[in-house]
Amino acid sequence: MLKVEGVSKSFGPVKALRNATIVVGANEVVGLIGENGAGKSTLMRILSGGMRPDAGTIAVDGAPVALRDTAQANRYGIAMVFQEQSLLLNMSVADNLHLANERSFIRLGVLSRRRMIEAARDRLARVGLEIDPTQKAGELSFAARQMVELAKALSLEERTSAPLTILLDEPTSVLESKDINILFDRIRSLKSRASFVFVSHRLDEVLAISDRIYVMKDGEIVAERPAGATSVPALHAMMVGRDLDAEYYREARQKPPGDEVVMEAKGLGVQGAYRHVNFTVRRGEVLGIAGVIGSGREELTRTLFGFLPQTSGALLIDGRPASLKTPTQAVAAGVGYIPRERRVEGLVMDISVAANITLARLDAAMRHGFIDHGRERAIADEWVRRLRIRTPSAAQVCRNLSGGNQQKIVIARWLTADSHILVLDHPTRGLDVGAKEEVYDMIRNLSAEGVAIVLTSDTLEETIGLCHTILVMRDGEITARFDAPPYAKPAQVALLEHMV
Amino acid sequence: MTSFVATEGLHVGLAERIRPFTPLLLLVLLTVGVNIAEPGFASLNTASVVLADASVLFILAAGLTFVIMLGGIDLSVQAAASFASMVVAELLPRVGYAAFPITILVGLGMGIASGFVHVKLRIPSFVATLATGGIMTGLSLLMEGGRTVSLTDQGRDQAAWISGAWALGVPNVILIAVVVAIGGMLAQRYTRFGRYSAAIGAGEPAARAAGISVDPHKIIAFGLSGAFAALAGIVLAARLASGSPDLANQLLLPAIAAVIVGGTAITGGVGSIGRTVVGALIVSIVRIGMTYVGVDIFAQQIVFGAALIFAVFVTIDRSKIPIIK
Amino acid sequence: MAPAFQSTPSVADPAPEQSRLERGRAVLQRSFGGGRLADFGPLIVLIGLSLILGLLNPSFFSFRNLVWGLANSAAIPLILAMGSTFIILMGSIDLSVEGVLSVGAMIVALLCANDSNNHDFGWWGPVLAIAACTGLGLLNGLVHVVLRIPSFMATLGLWFVGLGVGTVALGGSAVRVLDHNIRSIAFQKVLAFPLAVWIAVAMFLLALFLERRTRFGRYIYAIGGGEDIAMLAGVPVKRTRILAFTLAGFFTGVAAVLAAAQLGQANTTIADGRLFMTVTAVVVGGTALTGGWGGVANSLVGVMIVAALANGMVLLGISPYIHEAVQGLMIIAAVGLSIRRSGSFVIK
Repeated sequence: MLKVEGVSKSFGPVKALRNATIVVGANEVVGLIGENGAGKSTLMRILSGGMRPDAGTIAVDGAPVALRDTAQANRYGIAMVFQEQSLLLNMSVADNLHLANERSFIRLGVLSRRRMIEAARDRLARVGLEIDPTQKAGELSFAARQMVELAKALSLEERTSAPLTILLDEPTSVLESKDINILFDRIRSLKSRASFVFVSHRLDEVLAISDRIYVMKDGEIVAERPAGATSVPALHAMMVGRDLDAEYYREARQKPPGDEVVMEAKGLGVQGAYRHVNFTVRRGEVLGIAGVIGSGREELTRTLFGFLPQTSGALLIDGRPASLKTPTQAVAAGVGYIPRERRVEGLVMDISVAANITLARLDAAMRHGFIDHGRERAIADEWVRRLRIRTPSAAQVCRNLSGGNQQKIVIARWLTADSHILVLDHPTRGLDVGAKEEVYDMIRNLSAEGVAIVLTSDTLEETIGLCHTILVMRDGEITARFDAPPYAKPAQVALLEHMV
Repeated sequence: MTSFVATEGLHVGLAERIRPFTPLLLLVLLTVGVNIAEPGFASLNTASVVLADASVLFILAAGLTFVIMLGGIDLSVQAAASFASMVVAELLPRVGYAAFPITILVGLGMGIASGFVHVKLRIPSFVATLATGGIMTGLSLLMEGGRTVSLTDQGRDQAAWISGAWALGVPNVILIAVVVAIGGMLAQRYTRFGRYSAAIGAGEPAARAAGISVDPHKIIAFGLSGAFAALAGIVLAARLASGSPDLANQLLLPAIAAVIVGGTAITGGVGSIGRTVVGALIVSIVRIGMTYVGVDIFAQQIVFGAALIFAVFVTIDRSKIPIIK
Repeated sequence: MAPAFQSTPSVADPAPEQSRLERGRAVLQRSFGGGRLADFGPLIVLIGLSLILGLLNPSFFSFRNLVWGLANSAAIPLILAMGSTFIILMGSIDLSVEGVLSVGAMIVALLCANDSNNHDFGWWGPVLAIAACTGLGLLNGLVHVVLRIPSFMATLGLWFVGLGVGTVALGGSAVRVLDHNIRSIAFQKVLAFPLAVWIAVAMFLLALFLERRTRFGRYIYAIGGGEDIAMLAGVPVKRTRILAFTLAGFFTGVAAVLAAAQLGQANTTIADGRLFMTVTAVVVGGTALTGGWGGVANSLVGVMIVAALANGMVLLGISPYIHEAVQGLMIIAAVGLSIRRSGSFVIK
């Protein structure tokens, strides 16, 4: 009854969705799987009214609709339960359930608290949740909050006559297994009243709960299978099956790393995020960390640059213990960071290219304690030339330069600061193919010069193609370690097994 | 969350090119305008008056500039200046010339306290400075039971370097302001502090991720604001030959206006002492021009309040604050 | 931005059987808009402070002092705090209080029987004053929302505009209110308390009603708790903001009428220091400056603390000049000590 047809969406040069078509029938659970960046989130956002597609149509019961915003999507019975919880933690469960829909509880301008609470209790009961509706949402566990959000989504049935479609975006990533079973029981019992779209990385769970499964890759729907007619390995294969292009990742330039260990982690852990992490990184080595959201790899990456100091274990840099409590300390220890949010954490947009390049090592441009603008320009010009940064001049502010060039400036900054360890956090996000290739070239260059790199990437393919060694993380621990020598790279499925 | 899409191409439109010069244009227009309304305004005499008034205002605003560039606000500058005027008046008879540096250090210290409270206790700057301003006003009142303190004859002599005039009758105040201006501009362009402050103001997360220690810089900025306010208070005390707890009370708004009208955005980053110079001149011309034309001092506040809103409206960078609180 | 690292406990079962003590505690917590002991803090501080003051000077608890020293002197700050509480709950600030109050007081003085002109509009004076102040509040809201200017700048501008208007109209000097009815607001007693106190109580109850029993109240908390979430959920954020500022203007207007009545005149300094006191009271009462937490009940406690402290200082013969300094320290202590602090915020 809900049909999304030929939907496409681009963000600048990046095509997030290409001609995607899915159908959600009545009273069924449809699974949606795919790697990071495959387009699942974008598709969900379009379905829930949070975003408009560039092309394609959405039809409810055969009639095309235009979903201008979430309120309109709601009117067609579509509600989303977000991955990042979207309850207001400072307000009660009842308030959250009725937010922006209190009209039915008003008499003569006065809200009837009693009726709100009763109605809340009622809705909570429908998802089998017996909690006090006057409790603040912030006091509940993740699992309970997830249920409240589900209850809230279901409450649509009181406001619209359209059949319900509930979109669940990674609902289980923060839940423990017993809570997951409870969630699944509820979903099954609710199928009589609503259809569900279940988006997840956990293939076994998707298989367990779905009636049909769609597989996405590179923005397209590449397969559709009834759950009974497929298996986890088969789904794996459909999700990733592309031959790695050795040329694309310049595998020929991947040389063996040096012997000297520049960074070592021993039992590293951050409470609530990851634990027992051990690894070494040698001179010139590219170490990749693979894992889905919730695996702990994002937090591990942040620890290596001082954003999230470890709560247990030790980190050694050049053989000496390093407790990186702030990025300032990380920089002093010789670590550089290429952030995923380039425009926020990477460059200071409204100052010049030259100023950005010297920002981490202002000493290089100083003489007698003062900034020597001539020297700074010289340094910047040198990098502009060597890295082929396209800008009218080094005095230009960074705001209007392209993503690829901005990335190069960030790299130039760490090179100026003589960083011998670089932490790359999704370095090619938002870049077009040409810019990505330039980044790969630079990574090979840096590696050849002895810079050690720790890489967290959007796609498994990129990780495998670029790295010497890959750590796979799941639920906060390292589950596997792979060597990835040139022309003898491990298959993606091999890694996926340990990721999900 | 929506992602920013970098635009290719560096073509900068005409409006964008003109924008940085708007304050300067405004300055010229104002001078001409007032002169038309009341001929005789644009004379050497009034220029001297305007510049002297602008000088005090500028010193106050210069300190504020450091804070506003970092995205904060200091609502205690007038209290600090008044407090400094009291302190210097009290100290001059007791310790002679040493009173001047001591008073500035006191201002510096109070500013650092504000900065500390803001940064370490994570209190929004307007509350922190409202509080420290209150403390300073309280102290000012306490010192002499709310009364003013006049400078002794000796004190007046000691303060002559401020209240006197140089060659060609140019008041020393103007020279002091010029020194401050040049010092400030040089500091911004050539010192580590200046560079880091600009970076923090224009993109705090990025500055942090580049290894800059943000907290100490913020505290120093507030310290400077206090020190400059103290200097302004000393100048006022010298000119009026007395210190009092509400000496600078009327100057908070013009000081903020000077910074913002000059072109420093309250969102931080874009801005400089140089711009504040222009802003201070504009504000002074407006103040004196209005008095010249006959608008009373309270009514001037109406104009300033409205001008402030307009200036913010024009200079604010909304992409930096997605949710406007 | 990197996701803020959540520090909520990972899997805690929903609250098990609660003991009566716990349930009672929960009820008390909820009425003060808090969820942790820290929000009891203000109440404990108030009780503790009162006891200490009473010990130091027993006349603190004398009936006369309770009525005139405490209740009456807390009346105007309480009304002002009501308006500001709604604004602060949203995570914004209203710096224009003094300017708006000036305008209100000026209108009362100039329209009612006074010693400066021949007007004698009686109750129309207060009515128009309140209307004007409400209008100024609306202006605040519009400038903030429509021109998209941060509240502290918009209200800063209006602070001075209001101050200017208020003082210009007075011709720079004081205008005495001669209308006996108006003045009686300040000293007419009803059941032993001056009318001003009853008006303040009425305003408090009004604010409490708006906070607890209207959609508007829910929306204020939603905006403060997570404006983007609220917006996605369909909360009419812009409208609510404008309404909140208009409401603050209204409360300020009522306070202005009381101020003119109490002082018996309108002058250029009638509003001095009131912003500071209002913000201190709200903050000390436990309402978080970041928004979403606290409420008018908290502000009531806060106002009482500030009033008790001021009263106590008078009774103990402490110099009035210290008051501001002490208030400043109180704000710092109150905000600094409050446990509720959003971790990954960039505080401006």
